[in-house]
Amino acid sequence: MNNILIYLVIVPLATAFLIPFVDIFSNKARKILVGFSALLEFSIGIYIIISNYGEITEHTFFLKYYLGNWIPPIGITLSMDMLSLFFSTLISVSLLFIITYSIGFIGHHEGKYYVLLFLIWAAMHGIILTGDIFNLDVFLELMLITSAPLVAFKRNRNGTEAAIKYMFFGAIGGLFIFIGVILVYFNLGTLNFADIAQSFSLLPLFSKKMIIIFFLIGIFIKLGIFPFHFWLSKAHSACPSSISALLSGVIVKVYIYVFIRLFFNVFGFDILRETGLDIIIIVIALTSSILGHVLALSENDIKRMLAYSTVANLGIIVAVLTLNTKLAILAGLLHVMAHLLMKVSLFTATGYLLQFTPSHKLQDLKGVAYKNIILFAGFTLTAAGMIGLPPMIGFASKWHILQAFLDRSFHWGSIIVILGTIIAFFYYIKYIIYGFKTISIGPPERFRLILSVFYRERVVTNIAILFAIAVVVVGVFFKLSYGPIEGAANAVMNPSIYIESILGG
Amino acid sequence: MINHIVFIFIFLLGFYAILVKKSLIKMVIGLNIMEGAIFYWFIAITDRGGIIPIVQSTQVAFNLNDPIPQALILTGIVIGASTSAFLLTLIIELNKFTDSTNPDQLGGIIED
Repeated sequence: MNNILIYLVIVPLATAFLIPFVDIFSNKARKILVGFSALLEFSIGIYIIISNYGEITEHTFFLKYYLGNWIPPIGITLSMDMLSLFFSTLISVSLLFIITYSIGFIGHHEGKYYVLLFLIWAAMHGIILTGDIFNLDVFLELMLITSAPLVAFKRNRNGTEAAIKYMFFGAIGGLFIFIGVILVYFNLGTLNFADIAQSFSLLPLFSKKMIIIFFLIGIFIKLGIFPFHFWLSKAHSACPSSISALLSGVIVKVYIYVFIRLFFNVFGFDILRETGLDIIIIVIALTSSILGHVLALSENDIKRMLAYSTVANLGIIVAVLTLNTKLAILAGLLHVMAHLLMKVSLFTATGYLLQFTPSHKLQDLKGVAYKNIILFAGFTLTAAGMIGLPPMIGFASKWHILQAFLDRSFHWGSIIVILGTIIAFFYYIKYIIYGFKTISIGPPERFRLILSVFYRERVVTNIAILFAIAVVVVGVFFKLSYGPIEGAANAVMNPSIYIESILGG
Repeated sequence: MINHIVFIFIFLLGFYAILVKKSLIKMVIGLNIMEGAIFYWFIAITDRGGIIPIVQSTQVAFNLNDPIPQALILTGIVIGASTSAFLLTLIIELNKFTDSTNPDQLGGIIED
């Protein structure tokens, strides 16, 4: 029992509902509240790490909290093992910085913006902590409904269309997950993760297959894996850049967490192997990856290019996780971290650069590097990391992914990873070259600000540069992050630890 | 068995509306039909024809209906209501820009 966990959900939730009331009185008070709550939530995460430091280094870390004191099979359990801790830390760090970035970036309707942002934060922590499959579904829907208004936040035609698409596909994916939840309850009479995990293998094969397939379809629609990839690029590019960073960097990682938790810990990986679905998932995910790279290459719009690159990287992550060796899961989790840092960094930098250009098109980015050379250097470094050049974090994770594929002698996978790297090189280098092109000084309105808001430049630049530095530093010292990731991989590989820790007292 | 068949039929009916209808509002209705099918199905398959909880202490508590499906469905209805409310808001917003509710203006399925 540890009631610190519930505060991870309550603090952002309470903040979200407090902001409108504070907003009536003064803008300044709202800013203070937002900053204070973000820091508070971040420091709860830090407190959990510090107070359990010994257990984390020994990989025996486990916290749990029974809501309303109901003992597991009946009530909702919140729990945090190494895997949840890994994702929770990533989310808290990136959201703290995204919120700081937004303070300089979003200049209108800030009250509504922060309400939605904190609701998303609460939903994400809810998903990561919950031990109840229906609760998971509710938090997934909460995350969908709160992130869709942010997609439409610019209130232009493109944003609204993107949000409608995002809502439709998200809602249909949610329905499939809901059917899966119903089938689980109908067959097993329980909703608790650990309880399901214990008795799931006793079900007849047909029921198992149906449950697995419904959850897979739901999660793949929400993740934007191959047959359902088409909505993602529009949704991730039509919103303000801070939200693009959130959607493309953080929210998709939460869906990856759901994938890992359900298919490795709750249902167990044996079901996928028995039915031969794991090969199918790998093939679909690899197709998604190569398709994402090709679509990104053909794209002429920087934000859509970055969104398609997300499709490509998600494919790689899902494929490598499904290999189900210890090395593969380590590589997958490393790439989750790497892609999160790099994508947030790229989108924050892009958001700054795009204020000088009339549109998102490649041609309009000409000479944009000279507007802020340090920030563009950061952009270049991160893009190099995305391609997979050393010493950035992208190199470390791609190296591990290659090793994982070769280890299982899955040569097609490694070929696709290398091919993707080559394609990625071409589409990133295109933007970098255009950025450095000198332009004969054109009409002065070329660099006019297209938005009515002037960004608070220092905040925005510093955050973008900070992420670029993080990409390099974490890349150089990535061995240091081995410990926690190995612990998380252990938690993925041994579902029995999770089951026993929840059910056994 | 009849429950499953009816569920699949209604569910596919909603899915058909989403795929074929040329109006975003009809597509939202299709989504609601799909949700309705799921709610109906879940209530129907978990029904045991017993006493409805809450049970008084004087009643004999055997052959109870399971209250959990009803709680889940109630939550599901709330989620569905908020989803469709927000979708309709977005459609009104889109209507300001385009004067139509044709889903084709969202771009083709592949390119956008």
